[in-house]
Amino acid sequence: MIRAVNINKRFGQAHAVSNVSFDIQAGGSVALWGSNGAGKTTLLRCLLGVIRFRGMADIGGLDVRRRGPHARALVGYVPQELAFHDDARLGSAIMFFARLRRVSGARAAESLAAVGLNGHERKRVRDLSGGMKQRLALAVALLSDPPVIFLDEPTSNLDASGRGEVVEALKRLRSDGKTLLFASHRPDEVILLADRVFVMEQGKVLSDTTPSALWPTEKPVQIVRLFLTKASEAEAADALRKAGHAVHLNGRGLCVAVPRGHKAEPIATLARSQIEVRDIEVLDDLQIPEAKQ
Amino acid sequence: MKPVQFAISICLFVTSLTHAEKAMQATLNPVPVSFVVELIEKAEPGDVIRVPPGVYEGNLIIRKPIILDGGQKAIFDGLGKATVIEVVAEGVTIRECAIRGSGMDVTGEPSAIRVIAANVTIESNTIEDVLFGIDLREAPSANIRNNVIRCKDLEPGRRGDGIRLWWSHGCVIEGNVVQGSRDMVFWYSEDLQILRNTVTHSRYGLHFMYSHNTVLEENDLNGNSVGVYLMYSNGITIRGNRMQNNRGASGYGIGLKDCDDITITGNALLANRVGVYIDNSPSSINSTGLIESNMIAFNEIGLLATPNTHDNVFTRNAFVENEEQAVTHGRGRLVTNAFSRGGVGNYWSDYAGFDLDSDGIGDVTYEPKSLFGVMLAKEPNLRLFVHSPAQQAIEFTARALPELRPESTLIDPSPLASPPEIKLEIVGTGVGGMRMFIFSASLLSFAAICIAVMGIERGMPAQNSGGRT
Amino acid sequence: MSSMTAPSDLPKKSVPAAPTRVGGITLFARREFRDALASKWFLLYTVAFTVLAVAVSFLSLSGVGSQGFAGFSRTAAGLLNLIMLVAPLMALTAGASSIASERERGTLLYLLAQPVSRAQLLLGKYFGLAAALTCSLCIGFGISGGVLAWRTGGVGVGAYATLVGFTVLLALAMLSVGVLISVGSRRSSVATGIALFTWLALVFVSDLGLMASSVLFKLRVQEIFGLATLNPLQSFKMAVIVNMNASLDVLGPVGAYASQTLGNGLPWVLASSLAAWIILPLALAVVLFVRRGSV
Repeated sequence: MIRAVNINKRFGQAHAVSNVSFDIQAGGSVALWGSNGAGKTTLLRCLLGVIRFRGMADIGGLDVRRRGPHARALVGYVPQELAFHDDARLGSAIMFFARLRRVSGARAAESLAAVGLNGHERKRVRDLSGGMKQRLALAVALLSDPPVIFLDEPTSNLDASGRGEVVEALKRLRSDGKTLLFASHRPDEVILLADRVFVMEQGKVLSDTTPSALWPTEKPVQIVRLFLTKASEAEAADALRKAGHAVHLNGRGLCVAVPRGHKAEPIATLARSQIEVRDIEVLDDLQIPEAKQ
Repeated sequence: MKPVQFAISICLFVTSLTHAEKAMQATLNPVPVSFVVELIEKAEPGDVIRVPPGVYEGNLIIRKPIILDGGQKAIFDGLGKATVIEVVAEGVTIRECAIRGSGMDVTGEPSAIRVIAANVTIESNTIEDVLFGIDLREAPSANIRNNVIRCKDLEPGRRGDGIRLWWSHGCVIEGNVVQGSRDMVFWYSEDLQILRNTVTHSRYGLHFMYSHNTVLEENDLNGNSVGVYLMYSNGITIRGNRMQNNRGASGYGIGLKDCDDITITGNALLANRVGVYIDNSPSSINSTGLIESNMIAFNEIGLLATPNTHDNVFTRNAFVENEEQAVTHGRGRLVTNAFSRGGVGNYWSDYAGFDLDSDGIGDVTYEPKSLFGVMLAKEPNLRLFVHSPAQQAIEFTARALPELRPESTLIDPSPLASPPEIKLEIVGTGVGGMRMFIFSASLLSFAAICIAVMGIERGMPAQNSGGRT
Repeated sequence: MSSMTAPSDLPKKSVPAAPTRVGGITLFARREFRDALASKWFLLYTVAFTVLAVAVSFLSLSGVGSQGFAGFSRTAAGLLNLIMLVAPLMALTAGASSIASERERGTLLYLLAQPVSRAQLLLGKYFGLAAALTCSLCIGFGISGGVLAWRTGGVGVGAYATLVGFTVLLALAMLSVGVLISVGSRRSSVATGIALFTWLALVFVSDLGLMASSVLFKLRVQEIFGLATLNPLQSFKMAVIVNMNASLDVLGPVGAYASQTLGNGLPWVLASSLAAWIILPLALAVVLFVRRGSV
C-alpha cells in the first residue's frame, strides 16, 4: 500500500531523511519511533508528496510526485496540531475539505458526528480545545474514507483523556483494515496500535522491528521516563543498556522499560555511574493485549 | 470624445452632400455659370437675384451691386479652377449659396469668394472643398455672417485660410463656422468685430497681424493648433471666448506677441497646451495688459510668459489644476507683473493657505515654488513623468528641504480663497449623467454579484437532510 | 465518546477522488475570496480607496464642476496619482501575505496534504484575491462615479470605464508580483516588507532613477519611452492617458514620440506591458512554488 525506495531529503547540509526504503502492506500499522529531529515528520511529508525529495514513493501504486493529488486522495492526514484558519467556523471548515475530497455535505456531517463534534458547527476553529481540534482533524482525514491514514504525533498536545479518545478511534480504524503510519513519542501508543516499528535516528531507519521486540513484554512492564541534563543523556543511555535495560532516547528524556516493581533500578544504576537524575515520570500502566505476548 | 466629434462631423458632411445631391437631381444637368451672369446683366443695381436650384459651373465675377440669393439650393462649382466667385462691386450681397471646387494652386490663392470692394455682405453660405474660404482684400465694412466653411482636407501647412482680411477695416465677422482651414487671419485690418464664430481643427483659430482696436467676443476655438494669436496688434478686447483643446506644437489658448493694451476678460481657457502665452506684451511704455476673470483650467501650463514680460495685471482669474500654473519661458520671474489689483488677486487651485478672517482673500501670499516645474523647463523630456507619484515626491522634497526650493515665479499677495464666479456664455457639453449613473451602478452590482456568487458560505446541510455537493 | 465510530457505511470499493484541475482552483479561489471579504485589509482598503477617490473627484471638480466643460479626462488625471499609489499597495500587500502567512501559520502544509497540486492552490489563491481586489476597486469606482454623475451631471463614461479597466489590470499585475514575493518568503512579515519595498521601488525609485538617468546620460526619447514602458505603473498611466486623449502629447516630447511612431498600436503596446506584468510574475511564482524543496 505504501512503498518507499531510497527516499533522501536534505535541508541544506543536514540529512533530514537518508536512504529510507520500506514497503507497508494494506492493513498494516507502522509506528515511526525516534527522537525529535530523527526525521519522522519529514519522512511523512515526503510520503505525502508535499515536499520535494529524491527517491521514489508511492501510495496505492500512485507515485506521490507524479500523481500527487491522486495519491493524496487515498490518504487522510492528521497533523500534530490542526492548523486551519482560526476565524473559520467548524462547519465551513469541514465543508471546504468535503468539497476538496468530493464527498457530500451529509457525509461531512456524518464524519463530524463520528468524532462527536456534531452540534459544534458554528464554533470557530480558534475556540476549539486541543482535543476537539484533533478530533476535527480526524474527521477531515476520514471524510472520504481513505484506505491510508498518516498521523504525525497526533496525541502529543493532548491530555490523558483526549489521548485516550484518539487512541480508541485509531484502534477502531485499524480493526477496519485501514493502513496506518504514525509518528509517536509514546511507547504505550506504539504498543497498542502498531504491528511494526521503524526506529529512526538522524534520518535513517535503524531498525524495522516490532513493539514487542522493542519492549520485551514477558513480564508486565512499566515505562519510566528519566529527565537528565542534556549532556549526560548519551552516557546514561549507555550505562543503562549495559545494565540490561531497554532504553530509548526521545525528545523528552530517556524512556526506560522496567519490570513492574523495579522502578528505582535505573536510578540506582545511574547513581553508580554518578549521573544525576533530575526528575522522573512514570507513564501510565500499559495494558498490553494478550495477543501481543 | 474625439471619435464622437469625428463621427458627428462625418454625419454633417454626409447630410450636406445629400442636400447638394438633391439639388443636382432637381436640375438634372449642371449648367454653365454664364446662366447666372446673364441674370445679373439683366438686373438693376440693388435687385435680388434668386438663383434657381442647380449646379452652376465655372468662375463668376460680380460687377454690379446686386443681391445674389441661392435659396439654399444653388451650387456654384469652380470645377477646381481659380476663385469661384469674385466680387468687384461695392454693396454686393451673397447669401444662401453653396460654393465649392476652387483651384488648388497656392500661388493664385484661389478662394470660394474673393471681395475687393467695400460694404459687401456674405451671409449663410456653405463653402466646401476650396483652398481659401472668404478672402477680403481692401474690402472695408464687410459683413461676414453665419457661413459654414470647410476647406480642402490637406495637410495643415498646405491648406488655405478659412476667412482672410487684408487691409479691410470695420468689418463684422459673426457666427461663422470654420473647420479644417489654416487660419482665420486678419492683416492690417482695424475696428473689427469678431463675434460668436466657431473654428475647429484648424491651425490658428483667430490670427491677428498688425490689426488694431478689435473686439473678439464669444468665439469658440476648439481643437486647433492655437486658439487666438495676436501679433503686433494693439487695443484688442478678448471677451467671453472659449479656447479649448488647442494643442498644437505651441498650443496656446491665447498668444500675445508684442501687443499693447490688450484686455482679456471672462474667457474660458481649457485643456490647451498653454492657457495664456505672453511674449513681450505690452511692448510700449505706458501700456498695460489686463487679464481679468478668466477661467484658466486644465492646461499643461496656465500662464507662460517670456522673461521680459511686465506691466500686465492679473485679477480675479481662476487658475485651476493646470499642470503648471504660471511659468516663464526659460529663466526669469513674473514679478514685474501685478497679480492683484486693489487687494484682489486670483484663485489658484494649488494655494495651500487659509482665510481665517473669511474676507475671501487668503491670509498668506501665493508664491508657487515648483521644483519639478523648474526641472521641466530645463528638461522637457521629463514631462513624461507628470501625473505620477514621483512628481509629487519631488515637490514634497523641495518643500521639506529649503536649499532645493527654487525661487517663486510670481507673487500674488492677495489670492482668492475660493474660485470667483465666472460667467461663461458658452457652456460645455455635459454628457450623459444618466449613463454615468448606470455605469457606476453596474460597477457596484458587479461587485455585489461577485460577492454573492463567490462569497456567501454554502454551509453544512442539516444533519439528516442528505445534502450533496 | 461512545458515538465515536469509524465510518463504515460507505461502499468499500469507492475510491476517494481528487478534485478536477478547475474544481480545485475554484475551491481555493472561493475560499480565498471569502477570507479576503472577512479580513480587515479588504474593508480598510475598500473604504480608504473609496473615500480618497470621492475626495479627489470633488477636489478636481471644485469651482468648475458644475460647468462640466472639461470632460472627465482631467478628473481622471487627478485620480491617476491616487490610483498609482493605492492600487499597487493594495495588490502587492494582499499578494505578499497570500502564501507566506499560510506558511507561517502552518496551514499551508495541511492544505498541501489534501488531494490538490501546488499549482492549483497557488492559482486558486491568485484568482480569489484577484476577484476580491476587483470587487474592492469596483466598489470604490462605483461610488465615486456615482458622486461624479450627481455632481457634474455627467462626465465621459468611456474615459471612466477605461480608467476602471486599466486600474484592474494594474492591480492584477501587482497582485502577481505580490504572490511571487510571497512564494519566496518564509515569513509573512518579510513578504510584506519586500512588498512595501517593491511598491516604493515601482512607485518612486524607478521613476526618479529614470529621470536622473535621462538627464545624466542624455537618453534619447525612444530610450526613455522604452524604459518607462517596463514599469507597469508608467504603462498604466500612459495607457489611461492615450485612451482618453487619443495621443500622448500631454506627456511632452517622449509621449509625442510614442504617439507618432506607434500610432494606433500604442495602446496595445502599453496594454501588453501590463499583461506581461500579470502573466510573467504569476508564471514564475507557480514554477517556483511547484519546485520549492520545502513547504
